[in-house]
Amino acid sequence: MALSLPPGLTHAEVSFLAEMETVTIVPRQRLDSIDLLSGKTPSLRPPHRVDLSLWLALLLKKQRRANIVPPPWLHPASLSEIVQRETKENPTAFSEPPPVPSRPNIHQPGIAARQNNNETVQLSPPFQASCTADAPAGYLPYHWMEVAEMLLTFAGDDMISLGSAGEIRGLLRDLTEVRAAKMRDSTKTLGADGENVGGVVSLRGVGAMELAENRGFILGVVDGMRRIGASVEATRREQEEEMGGPGGGGGGGGRGDDGDDDSDEDMGI
Amino acid sequence: MSYYDIDAILTDAEKIPCTFQLDIPDLGYLDNTPSQPLKAGTKVNLPLWLAEMLVIANTGAADNKTFVTFDLPRALGNDVVQALKADPRAVPLRDQSAHFYGLATHMLDLSEEQELGSVLRKTFVTRAAEISLHARKVGSIGHKAKSKGEGASEMGSNLGLGGAGEEFLRGLDEWERSLFRKAHEGAKAGKDWIESVKKN
Repeated sequence: MALSLPPGLTHAEVSFLAEMETVTIVPRQRLDSIDLLSGKTPSLRPPHRVDLSLWLALLLKKQRRANIVPPPWLHPASLSEIVQRETKENPTAFSEPPPVPSRPNIHQPGIAARQNNNETVQLSPPFQASCTADAPAGYLPYHWMEVAEMLLTFAGDDMISLGSAGEIRGLLRDLTEVRAAKMRDSTKTLGADGENVGGVVSLRGVGAMELAENRGFILGVVDGMRRIGASVEATRREQEEEMGGPGGGGGGGGRGDDGDDDSDEDMGI
Repeated sequence: MSYYDIDAILTDAEKIPCTFQLDIPDLGYLDNTPSQPLKAGTKVNLPLWLAEMLVIANTGAADNKTFVTFDLPRALGNDVVQALKADPRAVPLRDQSAHFYGLATHMLDLSEEQELGSVLRKTFVTRAAEISLHARKVGSIGHKAKSKGEGASEMGSNLGLGGAGEEFLRGLDEWERSLFRKAHEGAKAGKDWIESVKKN
């Protein structure tokens, strides 16, 4: 009965998943293709760039067999643009996640089409190349915090081409703080009164690590609100039932009432 | 909330001011007059679990008279509600009752106080934002040395803050404390993870 872990993923699990992200490396040694469970890795030939999983890239980096090409969004210019957007242009919402990959359509010039247009658009992070050298600048991918932290820690010397590590870390810290403050305020609208009861602010564009960090708090607030509002909610339902009772006396109405009773019980628990 | 929830049990023990509406024999000891029946109109502070039963269990009576009527406890009295309306953050809820929200939700169940509900919602949300702010601050580098000196229990180190923050955190009721703990654990786990990345 008692699972000691809170709901959701822990930080260690999130960062483990983040190692699935693809990054671009420049190999320094020749290495044949390796047959892994997830498929064959591309064979490495020194001057050519290759996309690899982050964990493998970090392994090769530690063995000094490769250099990691930093993703464009980690560039100080890109980061400060995002900070600017988060603080000045849109101080209440989180910045947008990276756009769906698109490329110009050869047959219809001027109209960009989604890649893999035939229903197989891969939007989830392991398949969407959001941390490679081709990733768009100015957008934070889902695993931004983990990837940035790992890259700066293990491949700091490769990130020099972007600017000083201190500068990048400073910008990342700004970003973390700004977004943490937004997370804190995201529940404020919950207390709104009357008809237009507010909800939690849209969490679109929030990173995995931020979710792991704030899950407990936000769930706690929402649950507290539910418990405070439970009796009001119950009376409202009763009123609705009374109002709707004479009107819908048929069999279908009866079934609907059963459903309501069940959820009332849930509220009481 | 499970059967063994200590907080729920303690909430049930909070006292509610009740007025008996009927003469009841053999209950005089509640009013320190064991030899006489309990007179109608006597005011007695009853624990929540008993008051709840007596208030609900009345509907069967002949003239629909209730055993007792109850007033809102002082923790939810007019003074407190007005203060909460003015500034939720300035009221130390714990001084009113350690199980303020638990008590309040029970009272909301029993009485139909629309206004109290909306005040409580606003209070909870406003204070939650403040709690989260403090939860993030505590345990950062500036506070580490301080809390180390404090050592001792989990809550003790969390309260190792100075000034207004400490005052506010001391005024949290049990729901808010658990919220603080959750927010603090999240922030702490984040910091621990960053440290662990550096070590590997």
